[in-house]
Amino acid sequence: MTFVSIFYGLLFWAATLVLVVGVGRKIYLYATIPAPLKIPTTPAPVTQVGVVGRMFREVVLFESLFRANKYTWLFAFMFHMALWLVLLRHTRYFMDMNSLLSFIQPFGKYASFAMVFGLAGLWARRLLVDRVRYISAPSDHLMLALLIGIGLSGMMMTFVSPTDITMVKGFFRGLMTFDFHPLPASPILLVHLFLVALLMLIFPISKLLHAPGVFFSPTRNQVDNPREKRHIAAWALALEKNKQSDRNEVKHG
Amino acid sequence: MADYEVPKLNGEGYIQIPKIKPGAMAGKGPFIAKPDFQKALNFPADFQADGAGKFELVPDWKDRALNKLDDLRHRYRSLQLYLDICVKCGACTDKCHYYVGTHDPKNMPVARQDLLRKVYRRYFTFAGKHFPKLVGAVDLTEEVVDDWYNYYHQCSQCRRCSVYCPYGIDTAEVSMAAREILDHIGRGSKYNNEIISKVFKVGNNLGLPQPALADTLEGLEEDVEADTGIKVRFPLDEEGAEVLLVTPSADFFAEPHVDGLMGYAKVFHEAGISWTLSSYASEGANFGMFIGSYENMRRIALRIREAAIKLKVKRIVFGECGHAWRVAYSFLNTLAGPFDFLDPKYPVPQHILEVTWGLIQNGKLVIDKTQNDDKVLTFHDSCNVARGSRMGDKPGGQFEYPRNVIKAVCNHFVDMPADTIHDATYCCGGGGGLLTDDLMELRIKGAQPRMEALKYVTEQQGVTHMAAICAICKSQFTKVIPYYGFKMDQIVSVHQLVSKALVLQRPVSVQARPDDDDEDDENDDA
Amino acid sequence: MALDIGGKTIATDEEGYLENLNDWTPEVATAMALAEETPVALNDEHWEIINFLREYYEEYQIAPAVRVLTKAVGKRLGADKGNSKYLYSLFPYGPGKQACKYAGLPKPTGCV
Repeated sequence: MTFVSIFYGLLFWAATLVLVVGVGRKIYLYATIPAPLKIPTTPAPVTQVGVVGRMFREVVLFESLFRANKYTWLFAFMFHMALWLVLLRHTRYFMDMNSLLSFIQPFGKYASFAMVFGLAGLWARRLLVDRVRYISAPSDHLMLALLIGIGLSGMMMTFVSPTDITMVKGFFRGLMTFDFHPLPASPILLVHLFLVALLMLIFPISKLLHAPGVFFSPTRNQVDNPREKRHIAAWALALEKNKQSDRNEVKHG
Repeated sequence: MADYEVPKLNGEGYIQIPKIKPGAMAGKGPFIAKPDFQKALNFPADFQADGAGKFELVPDWKDRALNKLDDLRHRYRSLQLYLDICVKCGACTDKCHYYVGTHDPKNMPVARQDLLRKVYRRYFTFAGKHFPKLVGAVDLTEEVVDDWYNYYHQCSQCRRCSVYCPYGIDTAEVSMAAREILDHIGRGSKYNNEIISKVFKVGNNLGLPQPALADTLEGLEEDVEADTGIKVRFPLDEEGAEVLLVTPSADFFAEPHVDGLMGYAKVFHEAGISWTLSSYASEGANFGMFIGSYENMRRIALRIREAAIKLKVKRIVFGECGHAWRVAYSFLNTLAGPFDFLDPKYPVPQHILEVTWGLIQNGKLVIDKTQNDDKVLTFHDSCNVARGSRMGDKPGGQFEYPRNVIKAVCNHFVDMPADTIHDATYCCGGGGGLLTDDLMELRIKGAQPRMEALKYVTEQQGVTHMAAICAICKSQFTKVIPYYGFKMDQIVSVHQLVSKALVLQRPVSVQARPDDDDEDDENDDA
Repeated sequence: MALDIGGKTIATDEEGYLENLNDWTPEVATAMALAEETPVALNDEHWEIINFLREYYEEYQIAPAVRVLTKAVGKRLGADKGNSKYLYSLFPYGPGKQACKYAGLPKPTGCV
């Protein structure tokens, strides 16, 4: 029940709330704003099943990015796959181990190298390519720095100076039940956790919104069937009703 | 005369990505529309020119701009989403032909978006309000508005950038929104808005009144008869025809467009399909899309619906134009639908190529391919067709149909390099409402990647002509390709090729006029 | 911008077309041609085209299409001149645009 434990407990409660609510609001926003026109980038699937396949390829294999730039794809794919493996390995702090979770543990462990390597590659590109350098804002660099910081501090704990992970698990299992358990006072762990909380806090106001946002992109998730099925937004329908007179005027004009 | 350089071509079939040259195209926007043109489109017109002849912005322009932005982001998911989720990965940065040709970094799609995004962040996001420098947010100033006007009129809305963005972020959507905002603060494009007002007044972009249209069509009938000995009809405003052909007004006016129009007529004639043009809806083009104005786009589209109703046609067929087909295919049903009064056996609308290819496949047309043996052809996939529409019932039909028709009427066809065709096609450089002389530098430079590919197939495989199915592409290419060492007449319409190879078998049109028949009889007697 | 012809100021737009089509006179045409960045001295052949354009506009309120123009030129001046090359040689920036400007017609708009 030290100050650190309480502070981090509250911090992660707050960060989780901000993350969940913030991302939720954005998802709601994206879901409710209409896409008044059919604007899929063609050739596009003509069926909903085809669209699911397209989205799968986009979200899992980064298909468009692969077409665009192989180097960026390589580093981005490496980073994201490694990120997911690392996150899956991290679930051991929140849930009981099962065979699958056990199986992926070594992969997730070494994925940290791939994750940091991918991030380094992405950062190098952002620094070395004049075009990417031109378009980058300080926040883009800070985001990469934050993620590399998280990865490096985590790797430090795994490969250099281990921390009491049983205690970490206890702390977080407790958080899930609104309990405050002691958290190890390892500085690396505290750095790691603080950076993670920071990431969670800025997730809903940063470009990380691309994770949920990609699913709502009209150019990718629309079915190419405008001739077969009329697609119209509510406000456009209202326009039709209101502008019925306009139509007549135009006709006689 | 020109104070700029025509980009050099390397002739090796690949597009060389240039280093950025900041400010290369600063201050090179098009002429600004006068208040009169703005009024005709229901845009604010409460602005005037200052002493130096430059148009001021409307009063309260900043508030009105921000309000419009807020309005648009709540009506178009594409705008809100695309302003939020760009990760600045740079995948799009080397995909825009205007960046490739001008080297101006603000012509990189993400940088173009950022012109608006930075303002959006400043006024509509938490990070932008409290940490503007961190996220690159900027205040909305007149310099920013000038940059908006300048660079959003250096986007042809070709959507190539969207193909390569991992999230499908479409700069064209951002560009349309920005133009809409600009139209509301006194910064409309003279070229686009003047054209739209002509459509409202006369029915077509060129402002061709009905008598001129009739005279032109009459002349074309004479030409076809002189050439083939057969009276092919070019009907105008004929009720009861099966097909309403909606084609860009350039098809009545410019070359090689008019040769394509003759191809349409021959195809309809040979197939025994009765058709008509409408002087009321004598324009396939819809520049309302270019300025991002749903209302004006809809107004233009409704003319087609009304013409179809008035002329009691059974189906609507569109001629060779890129953005016309995109608006027709993707938006016509939304804007002017439903079309339950037309024949349900045919999709609404149809592309002339769908008609022609169907006839060719069914053996309904007699083709002499040797008529085009003097040409080795390649085909330019127009952006709006390639990335915004479809032909037939399978994805990618918009690539197959034109090529199938060309190969059916020509013996020598060669495709340009794979990364420059299909949905990766490069814009002609004149799309999106940029086909105006005041943007000639932009048009020349924007055409560079396409010229690179054309040069490659010309040198490597002896290509002599490039076929296109977009009115803007045809006009743009005829003006621009001489700058790259090609000749104006190397641009042909696809239906120009059909016209050349089609051997007319039908002696009399199904729409023959009675007096024409009499004349034939008299000739026979004599 | 503006042209000063015989003491009278004639208004034109940024591209050199007449703001007010009624301001046209042959002197105005000559002046507009000479005011170009690359001046053009109008000769008889130019004038035939310009006159035809004005006649056509008078009848149809629109400039003739290139094809119409070439056909008409072919009829009047001979088949050897009834082609776009000849027209482009007279009006390098295109008969549709350059000649229309000198003839005092509005600038053709649209996909041309």
